[in-house]
Amino acid sequence: MATIEIEARKFEVDGDGFLSTPEIWDDDVATLFAKYDGIDEMNEKHWAIVRFIRKHYEEKGNAPMIRNLCRETGIKLREIYELFPLGPARGACKVAGLPKPDGCV
Amino acid sequence: MEHLSTHTIEKGLEILRKFDDGRFLTSINSCVHCGLCADSCMYYVSMKENAFIPAKKVALIESIYKRYYTFTGRTFPKLIHAKELNGETTAELIDLFYGACTLCGRCNIHCAIGVDIAYLVSIGRAMLAEMGLTPPTLQSTVDAALTSGNNMRIATDDFVETLKWLEEELRDEVNDPDASIPLNEKDRNLLYTLNPREPKFFPLSISAMAKIFYAARESWTISTHMYDVTNYAFFTGNLNEARIIAQRMLDEVKKLNCRELILAECGHGERAFRWEAPNYLQTNFDFPVRTSVELLAQYIASGRIKVDKTLMKEKVTLHDPCNLVRSGGIIQEQRYILSKTVTDFVEMNPHGADNLCCGGGGGQLSMSEYNERRMKIGELKAEQIKKTGASVVVSPCHNCVDQLLQLNSYYKLRVKIKTLAELVAEALVLE
Repeated sequence: MATIEIEARKFEVDGDGFLSTPEIWDDDVATLFAKYDGIDEMNEKHWAIVRFIRKHYEEKGNAPMIRNLCRETGIKLREIYELFPLGPARGACKVAGLPKPDGCV
Repeated sequence: MEHLSTHTIEKGLEILRKFDDGRFLTSINSCVHCGLCADSCMYYVSMKENAFIPAKKVALIESIYKRYYTFTGRTFPKLIHAKELNGETTAELIDLFYGACTLCGRCNIHCAIGVDIAYLVSIGRAMLAEMGLTPPTLQSTVDAALTSGNNMRIATDDFVETLKWLEEELRDEVNDPDASIPLNEKDRNLLYTLNPREPKFFPLSISAMAKIFYAARESWTISTHMYDVTNYAFFTGNLNEARIIAQRMLDEVKKLNCRELILAECGHGERAFRWEAPNYLQTNFDFPVRTSVELLAQYIASGRIKVDKTLMKEKVTLHDPCNLVRSGGIIQEQRYILSKTVTDFVEMNPHGADNLCCGGGGGQLSMSEYNERRMKIGELKAEQIKKTGASVVVSPCHNCVDQLLQLNSYYKLRVKIKTLAELVAEALVLE
């Protein structure tokens, strides 16, 4: 467990910077976490990705498959990697306030 | 560390007794703690903490073994610095053996007398696993594999839907309605495996291999039941769980009656199944097991696929996964592939058998409590990459790829990270 401070707000996170209290997540938290990872401005596509991941997590308790993410948002695979340089897991899922997924990510 | 029960301590000591064979005893008795290994360890080089020196790790497990299993250690422990297995030494073991070692094995090759230091760390981890002290962050990936069949808990219908989607994309790309990603087909030449992060988050490498298999007119299949090439129990040290996972893969090869098993680009997965599983399962495989790296090299060398290296315009460097080069002996194959698919290739220094770990091996990627150390040791790799001046880093290991992605962002390297299959697919010339 660690604490990070982004623009004077403090967050409890795991060692990888994933939010330890997913329930406090909201749009402001997403914007701040994105900034922390170098995404200064969340555009429409960033939001579409983050909102779908969040909705999936709230309904099913885990991150969606990249296949569903592409289908539901209409955003192409390679573009997702460009929008979130750390990838869908460490990039987008972190901004969406999910816990860190298991496996090689 | 809170008080440990006698029962827990006995369980740990039982593992030490069980493994006190020639390999273990030779290593702990041969190490003279000269410290020559210090500069080979990324943890020591990055942080200069004496406890991180590989010889110190050897001394720790050696002192516990001697306390219980030698006459002098039992009778005059202080005389030979023998230590009890208790809360204090257990906390040290967890911090150093799980939290300050990627099992990269670079210390082994720098040891003047060849002490198998990484093996001793594995034994220490096996002790801790038996005592129920595996870090929960690492154990959860093993649990996912044991309960769901893959380490990311991907449901079978989601997996099938993803592969059907990739199959559609492949058909569009090669403009052939018969191009396919065959699922659960029996009697094929090859059973191909995946790292679950491919279908879940990073499917470009699946598309790349499917395209290469198409070009090679290969007879292949993927199982939807057991496709996971990883075995995280190799990292936790829980040999019973490692055996269960390996047995599933063996059963799947038999069930589908494929002639050969091809392990995807996954360093530890290759080691755990090809080299460790025969020990876990106490059997020899009666079918060949190879990595996709060796298969790709063979396809190119035999002319079964055609590649054009002038298609790649960028400067490329290679990160060698420790488990492939130091434990698997796969050093030339990836370089041969690069010589045929890239015009501007530059080696890192050091490379091959003496490479530096990416920093994410040994299960480090999963243990977020040690994240700060992981990024710190990764700086050595980041510096190596910077010095090459390359704009593309290729690595035949999905675990290394993930660590490299993070190093890329953290140390602002501005490079592209690719698997070897992706690189070959980009150079592929379809006839």
